[in-house]
Amino acid sequence: MSAPTITEPGVAATTARAPRGVRSAETRPAWLFIAPFALFYVVFLIWPTAYMVIASFFNTSVVQEGFGSWAGFGNYAEMLTRPEFWSAMWHTLQFTLYTVPPLVVLSFVFAVLANRVQRGQWFFRLAFFVPFILPSAAIALIWNFILSPSTGLLAVVQGWFGVEEPAPILGTPALAMVGIALATLWWTIGFNFILYLAGLQDVPREVYEAAAIDGASPWQQIRWITIPMLSRTTTLVILLQIIASLKIFDQVYLMTAGGPGISTQVALGLVTTSAFTDFRVGAASAASVLLFIVIVAIAVARQLIDRAQERRA
Amino acid sequence: MTPHLPPPGRPTRRSLLKGGLALGGLGLAGATAGCGSPLAAGIAGTQLAPGTVTFWNLFGGGDGARLQLMLDEYARQNGGPDSLQSATFAWGNPYYTKVSLATLGDKPPDVAVAHLTRAQNLARAGLLTEITDEMLALVDLTPEDFTPKVWDAGKLGERAYAVPLDTHPFVLFYNKGVCEQAGLLDGDGKLKPIRGTEQWEAALTAAKEVTGAYGASVATVSETATPWRLFQSLYSQRSGNTPFLSGGGTELTFDEPLVADTLAYLQSLTAKGLMPTTTDYAGSQTLMFTGQAAFYMQGEWEITTAQSVPDLEFGMVPIPQLYDSPACQADSHAFILPRMERDEDQLRRAMGFVRSMLDQGMTWAEGGHVPAYLPTLQDPAYAALEPQSDYAPAADYAVYDAPAWYSGSGSNFETIVGAQIGLVLQGSASPEEAIASMRSQLQTYAETADPLS
Amino acid sequence: MATTGTSSASRRAGITAAAPPPRRVGEAAKNSTRTFNVVCGVVLGIFAVLWLIPSLWAIKTSLTPNSVSAVGAEEILRHAGLTLDPYVTILQGGSIWNWYLASFFTATVTTALTVALASMAGYALSRLQFRGRAVVFVLMLAGVMIPNQVLVVPIFQMLDAVHLLNTYWAVILPQVPYVIAVFVFKQFFDGLPRELEEAARIDGAGFWRVYRSVILPLSKPVISAMAILTFVNVWNNLLLPLFVVSNPELMTIPVGLATVQGSFGQRVSDIQASAILGALPLVVLFFLFQRRIVEGVAGTGLKG
Repeated sequence: MSAPTITEPGVAATTARAPRGVRSAETRPAWLFIAPFALFYVVFLIWPTAYMVIASFFNTSVVQEGFGSWAGFGNYAEMLTRPEFWSAMWHTLQFTLYTVPPLVVLSFVFAVLANRVQRGQWFFRLAFFVPFILPSAAIALIWNFILSPSTGLLAVVQGWFGVEEPAPILGTPALAMVGIALATLWWTIGFNFILYLAGLQDVPREVYEAAAIDGASPWQQIRWITIPMLSRTTTLVILLQIIASLKIFDQVYLMTAGGPGISTQVALGLVTTSAFTDFRVGAASAASVLLFIVIVAIAVARQLIDRAQERRA
Repeated sequence: MTPHLPPPGRPTRRSLLKGGLALGGLGLAGATAGCGSPLAAGIAGTQLAPGTVTFWNLFGGGDGARLQLMLDEYARQNGGPDSLQSATFAWGNPYYTKVSLATLGDKPPDVAVAHLTRAQNLARAGLLTEITDEMLALVDLTPEDFTPKVWDAGKLGERAYAVPLDTHPFVLFYNKGVCEQAGLLDGDGKLKPIRGTEQWEAALTAAKEVTGAYGASVATVSETATPWRLFQSLYSQRSGNTPFLSGGGTELTFDEPLVADTLAYLQSLTAKGLMPTTTDYAGSQTLMFTGQAAFYMQGEWEITTAQSVPDLEFGMVPIPQLYDSPACQADSHAFILPRMERDEDQLRRAMGFVRSMLDQGMTWAEGGHVPAYLPTLQDPAYAALEPQSDYAPAADYAVYDAPAWYSGSGSNFETIVGAQIGLVLQGSASPEEAIASMRSQLQTYAETADPLS
Repeated sequence: MATTGTSSASRRAGITAAAPPPRRVGEAAKNSTRTFNVVCGVVLGIFAVLWLIPSLWAIKTSLTPNSVSAVGAEEILRHAGLTLDPYVTILQGGSIWNWYLASFFTATVTTALTVALASMAGYALSRLQFRGRAVVFVLMLAGVMIPNQVLVVPIFQMLDAVHLLNTYWAVILPQVPYVIAVFVFKQFFDGLPRELEEAARIDGAGFWRVYRSVILPLSKPVISAMAILTFVNVWNNLLLPLFVVSNPELMTIPVGLATVQGSFGQRVSDIQASAILGALPLVVLFFLFQRRIVEGVAGTGLKG
């Protein structure tokens, strides 16, 4: 490739250029270049954030004009003392716990294996990566059918292995989240797979060659070279995965609608239900703010970790 | 790769022009696609499908199939398939959310179906058009054309907001073959009356001996509405029962000992194996259809499914009176006109559609629902309809869910309470645990400022 | 730069080539390595097949008559014949065409706006020295961390206030400020040589012309990668369109699949056919732009 690609930042070019001060001649055009994007940025990110914070202090309703009556910290007090809120937070965490380890470990294993296979790369990408770019709604329709009680594919396969009357996965409170996690694992593993494959390209061939000359077995090479060299990618994958998990909504809405009962209701599900079914924008905003804080905290942590690693590298 | 540099000039303006042309092209595409096309509506917010009736509903299964017949008939009488656009959404909260948000977003359907218990809340939220006598008169209807109990349930204060179509009580299906063998049928092949818990358990026990599996089946898993309907039917039969909620939902007023006792009774039925502990909606039907249970309790609409089962002989009766007075949980389907600016034509079309549906009331009644429109209810053809007419009296002592902003069919209330009752039936929660859980969850809603007013 | 939301992975070029086997090693070691690699291939192959089953199952079901699939999985397995009826039903039902239209329109317009506006902003941040640059930079960084899904309620309220609910714009506009894209563009522009621009500047070209005529033509890889990623993200988004569009005629594919039901109950094969039809355009996209998509995902660490 002669042209630089997205994957090669021109560090050299940036550093090579002589430091310049602010040039007032460039200020006006610069702002004109930035203004259109900035407009959207302010209108659809900053203002909604502000609106959310403001509305969280009012009894705002979808069907009433304006912010409604003052609620003070009432909405927050309600959320923080309400079992449904904590249960939704717990289910969000539960989803994270169920999905992150297998998504990280399996995608790592798949990538390491794929990296040692000379042929058929297209096949692995097709199998593992294509689901990731499909709409969640299609994924949910496919999995709901596979998981349907007694007549679904999974129940039939369970039957072959001698499981009599297997419990309906999505219909049993203790199992429903497992079903959602299973579909999620299938759906999104391709993302991590691709990140790991990219990370593996980073390990210099010479290292493997030297190890092979020293008589290291393939397994030892993986254990002592691949795993340590991929630690940065792993940190990245884990953090991205956690942030994505906290924003879980689609699969739950589509597969169980938070049920049975509220046994799989997650944070964003609680937010949208409060706002659009109960019409309580104020309460939904308070829940949103709390979720927002958690996600931003982790996103900030991610940046800090990333920077620390960058410095060490 | 050397980029070709155009001579200096006014590239900015030309680029803008290009952009403008592109946008104009989009607009043109929208315009040529015609007013009323989704593209035009999506881009310019124009009215979707002018000149037709748009109708939203939440009917699946047998109801959906029957409704389709009625819609086809309407379209046939009104100039073809283009006269009507109907859409079916997932039942319950998702449907009401869609209706509400579409109304807020100025693109509601002309007519929609709503449960009366939900229409109340939509009306209080200001999302409905009042149904005036003048509007009814447009299509020669009056409030007196409807069962008074049902008509009144669609009123908010003095104003009416819904045109009721039916009442759908929770009923008892019975498998005639099994009941025959268990000696539960009378000479005409109908179920002998069952009264009181002793007779009920005797009947279930006799049936269980025949089936070798269960006496009766009711959905307990992946279901909240069914367990609630069963419970509410029995609870409402007891003397001294009080409404679950009062004061528009601000107070929890259920009679706790009575609730606990009723739940304990239900749990004893599954614990004894007279009813299955874990079966879902479809599974509970299959048990009765395949003779593994003599009885099956569900809304009467499942008549269509039952009729489609080859060689199944079945009957339907109101839920037996196990306690002090007859009662059963029910709701009614009704037509609502979401809030929107309507011209005379639109209004006439909307009401004409409602009238057409009412006129086809027999088709609907065949699907199990008890008509609310008196000309259909009093039609001899309806009286001759079996087993539909066998349980029609249930509509007279039907109990609607208590009014609250979080109550009604498929609401948070039913979800909360129904889930707990389901757990009791499954044997995984004690009545006391279930009540405690219900109470704490409902309390939050009771203490919350009503978002509708 | 670590702070852009781009990943350590962003440093890799193409990622398709597998690691070559070590050279200059003993025959025995070579053989054991080869055996090991074969075992790797077999294990991975098994997993890959396992991973294909759900899709294949949906395809198989969608090609089976509704009457057969209604009975259950075993019946579907046993049934040998294939039918296209479910596809015919869905395509003739009409709704899906409106959903395709909505998805194509909203995804295309959003992509065009995002790529245009984010590349402009990225250009300014990469090339221009101006007052407030630091502030813009920090604000953009903050923007990367804002979880926009959490803003669905206030965005709904805003769109309601300006009467844009139930239009395509309600789906398009909130998805335009895709902040990470600005950084991806900036990073790419940073790596472009400056000689051409300087030549153009000496010829008297303004910044806009440099951007249009020098920078953009050199940036096809990043433009296409961002365009495809944005397109896929907008196409697949469920949360926002689910609540800002309520009319079946205006729904995008995911919302339509999620909310509208056929009126004949659970027609299993039809449902699977609709899922496949909804996913099909993206599968086609994948085959057309396989490398761009994979590079884009690996290079940006962007996730939905």
